[in-house]
Amino acid sequence: MENNNLSKYTVSFGLALAIGSVANALLVVAKEKSRAIQSGMQKLTGSHWITHVVLVLILFFGIGFLFQNLKSASCIAMPANRLVRIILGGIVTGGAVIIGYYLLAD
Amino acid sequence: MRRSSLKPGTATNKKASMSEAMLMPHVFFGVACIMAALWVFVDALNASASNAARIRLVSRAAAAFMWVAFLAGGYWYVVFYPADKALILKGPLPMAHAYFMETKEHLVITLLMLVTYLPVAASNNLAANKDARRLVLWVSGIIPLLGLMIEGHGAIIAMGVKLALLAKQV
Repeated sequence: MENNNLSKYTVSFGLALAIGSVANALLVVAKEKSRAIQSGMQKLTGSHWITHVVLVLILFFGIGFLFQNLKSASCIAMPANRLVRIILGGIVTGGAVIIGYYLLAD
Repeated sequence: MRRSSLKPGTATNKKASMSEAMLMPHVFFGVACIMAALWVFVDALNASASNAARIRLVSRAAAAFMWVAFLAGGYWYVVFYPADKALILKGPLPMAHAYFMETKEHLVITLLMLVTYLPVAASNNLAANKDARRLVLWVSGIIPLLGLMIEGHGAIIAMGVKLALLAKQV
């Protein structure tokens, strides 16, 4: 028998993946545009890239566990097609911003 | 650092050897992750009760391979890459750093999250749930594409170092 419900973890971490991908790209632009942000990130761990990775991963796991712990499962329940579109949208947007920035703006 | 001037047993040579030793697991586990994701994609196309455990196992292996590749590459990037970066920027292909490395070092974070998500997506009952199967197909399908793109960037960065070293010798 077909059961087309996605688990809570699947939806919550799928949303976290999309948000994390876009946040990753926005952080790239922010640190490349602002020397203050980049040097602040550099001071935190000794490397702006390590800080970048840590921040994005905290966001990814933080949002994933936050959405997963929502009391009402219906808050984040959605069909797989919509989740796929959100994930693809996040990855393509994030990728395009990063590639576009280093190709054109930098 | 000129590779031609390396002498066995010198500190410079040891550092170069260490750099290569860190790069090998980075590339090896990166390729292993791509292969594992491709395996999950093909198995998910034919998802059934008989291959469900294998899909979960290989998707976890893909995530583990990616984390090893990421940690090895990250360590190499922070510790050894600054010397290569200086070479590349003075060489005939500065774009190997300015575009390819800059893009690679940030796109790989998205890839890391994507591969970490694969076992979560694969934990659903793929044999009975066609929506979950579609999700796993998308996720495991994007990983090899993004992974190969990032591997290609790595090859161009290595080419940038090689061209810079050749230009110094001429």
